[in-house]
Amino acid sequence: MEQFIYYLKVSLLSIKRAPLPYALTVFILSVGLGVFFANATFYYQLNSDPLPHKSDKLFFPMTLITPNDCNNCRPPRVLSYSNVQKLSASDIPSAQAAMYSSDGYARLSVDQPPTPVSIRITQRDFFKMFEVPLLHGSMWADDEAHNEVLLTRAMALKLLGRTDVVGESILLDDRNVSVIGVLDDWQMLPRLYDANGRNHLSAGEDIFLPLETGYDLNYLSRTNSQTFDDTDYRQLATEGRTGALHQLQYWVQLDTEEQQQAYKQFMQSLAEDEKAAGRHPAPINNQLVPMRNIVDYFGDDPGDIKAFALVTLLFLVVCLFNASHLALNRYLSNQYEFSLRRALGASRSQLQLQMLADVLLMTFLSITGALIIGYAGVSLMNTLLPRNSLFSDWNLTLMAGLMLTAFFCSYLVTLYPSIRASFGSLNQQLKE
Amino acid sequence: MSLPLLFKVLLTRKVVTILLLLQLAITLALLLNSVLLAQQTHQQLNQPTGLDLEETLLVQIKPTTPQLRAYPLLEDLLERQLNALRNIPGVVAAAYSNQGMLLQGGNNGNVYNVDDEERSNTSSVPIYFVSADYFKVLGVDVLQGRLPQQSSLFTKESFPSVVLTQSLAEHLFPEQSAVGRQLNRGSVSAVISDFYGQRNGENVMYNSIQVTRPFSVDWGYTLLLRTSPGQTSAVRQQLTTVLQQVEPNIEIFHIRSLAEQQQQLYRNEYGLATLLTILSALMLVVTMISSYSSTHFQVLKRQQEIGIKRALGASKRLIFIELLSEGWLCTLIGTLLGIGCALLLNHGLSQVISLPSLNWWLPLLTGAILLFSVTLAIWYPATIATRVSPATATKAL
Repeated sequence: MEQFIYYLKVSLLSIKRAPLPYALTVFILSVGLGVFFANATFYYQLNSDPLPHKSDKLFFPMTLITPNDCNNCRPPRVLSYSNVQKLSASDIPSAQAAMYSSDGYARLSVDQPPTPVSIRITQRDFFKMFEVPLLHGSMWADDEAHNEVLLTRAMALKLLGRTDVVGESILLDDRNVSVIGVLDDWQMLPRLYDANGRNHLSAGEDIFLPLETGYDLNYLSRTNSQTFDDTDYRQLATEGRTGALHQLQYWVQLDTEEQQQAYKQFMQSLAEDEKAAGRHPAPINNQLVPMRNIVDYFGDDPGDIKAFALVTLLFLVVCLFNASHLALNRYLSNQYEFSLRRALGASRSQLQLQMLADVLLMTFLSITGALIIGYAGVSLMNTLLPRNSLFSDWNLTLMAGLMLTAFFCSYLVTLYPSIRASFGSLNQQLKE
Repeated sequence: MSLPLLFKVLLTRKVVTILLLLQLAITLALLLNSVLLAQQTHQQLNQPTGLDLEETLLVQIKPTTPQLRAYPLLEDLLERQLNALRNIPGVVAAAYSNQGMLLQGGNNGNVYNVDDEERSNTSSVPIYFVSADYFKVLGVDVLQGRLPQQSSLFTKESFPSVVLTQSLAEHLFPEQSAVGRQLNRGSVSAVISDFYGQRNGENVMYNSIQVTRPFSVDWGYTLLLRTSPGQTSAVRQQLTTVLQQVEPNIEIFHIRSLAEQQQQLYRNEYGLATLLTILSALMLVVTMISSYSSTHFQVLKRQQEIGIKRALGASKRLIFIELLSEGWLCTLIGTLLGIGCALLLNHGLSQVISLPSLNWWLPLLTGAILLFSVTLAIWYPATIATRVSPATATKAL
């Protein structure tokens, strides 16, 4: 320890002798790491797996069962109610749920001003598949539930001022619905169950309504809906259930490889039956996309962060070259001192230890600088690219990553100069 | 001072020179692509929209009760709102529409000439259901036919007549008049000048408009206002109060001028271009620091050499030019390497974002910026070098 403190003192003395080159090295390293870290925050969060233990078991099935003939067409991103009914006839999945999102207004009585709410209209298995925690009450008993809603904790507090509100009645678009459950704090990010149209970047919904009630009350999808025939979307309860009005996302849980193969076979048989019945004029094209690939499949990956990631990586490389260049100049200026130490009996490994003390000091200073610049960078990116703002939080893994990167970069920057200073010809160096 | 000698000087400090060259090359690559992206964003923001961006206001709105979102109350609400808006001093015209313009996507569908479906079928055409004053608000020119004067309803037997923008009319009926021709959505009554509809559409200028009441306002609707010159701000300030007075059970999502709507449409591109510009500026600063420190270090190390040169008759000016030339040569080589890096980076970026290819003059421009920055950075150390006295040469002896 004593030796380490001595090395640190020597490092500080060396800095005092030429503070400007050292400050510039730390500044450049901090800027490079800070900018890199700001972008890495978004990149890491956007590409993280919200359900790492089961994302390979959740699948989005899509079929081309539409009334139109279409060559080389991909299946629609959303399914019709009737197609979901056909798919949900299978008992192969361990869980399955259709869903979409809509907007509405909630209040306790007509005298109150309405509160805008976002609604996820779905089925019972949604909560099981995406591991949604329950604070009070229960989920729907089955998929036939009507006019029963679950609120998020935040919405229960906003509407009723408390969380234990099971059994209470609220007005959703001025129609009575009863609260059967309140969810605990839950934020799945990215919201991969709603990847269509980059909705996975947005916050979750406030209220959960049964699918059948959504159709009965004519809630239209607020994201993507397509009509392949003359179905009137204002008649969701009737025509919407039978016509080719596509607005549903559909997820199934297939735990084993056998289940996945069996489900693919089921989809193929279904498409063939529909084709035989004349309801599938287009060539068969079924897709069973795993949750972790869904953003790529839809092509909705936000390119701006990827582009900026590439550029910030290059920037970090430039900063490393630059800092290395400055460090080399600094070490060459101190060449005489190094050589003198060697002449007085210091071994090369002792010089390397001295260098390690230098690296630790530089890591500490550059991390401090990088955190300040990184924070400013994240704030700037939130302003300029607000769509990604939910993904700007720092966590322990990210911080540990930053520290390791900073240490590695500081080591890399100091490595060549110190080797050069330690391994030259002693006579020559002392003469210079 | 000869070129081989300059190369020799650079080769005496290989590692430092290589590091500097790599920095210069990557800086140029980034600078070049940033300028390209900024240029593209600028072009997008300045492309013709066919709309008066400054004097047209857009209000996105939705009734908060289901009764108000259904007919006949909805029709009454729309009329009351339009009347109130028309009475605001400075408003030239007001209209409603099921959706705004200058959008990413929205309500759209396929449109085709019923006599030539296979060729003319055009997908993702924005479909507008509007009030009669819509065209007055937009200030578009009528190029063919007559605009519908009254709102008409959809029935099983007949659809309201369709107004097409010029580009769509020419696409559906090439070299023919579109007026009176039958589309899958009704017969064409007029062709108007182009305006920017939806970015995700096949062509941003394709639009199909019908003077009829909206099908449904469950997604909200748009109120559009044309104001007298210079009155936009005054009108805007009154809008929320006026609309709330007409009907309190509404949610106003936003009030924007079309110029703001256009900015919103390209917000991401603008954000990315700004970030890259900031990063490029930082990179130039980093490169300048590098060039400065490298030259400064060399000047300190080569004092004796400079002193000998001065003793042998080299002028201060020659020493100064020699050091600048070393920097310029480095920059020139870095620029050449940078063009290769820029091509690679351009290829990489175009995989994830829409980016045009490099042109011939951008490398010249960015090379000049780099040269200027490097010159600025090495000016001071080169000046220090000119102060080295010829007497310093004696230390070498």
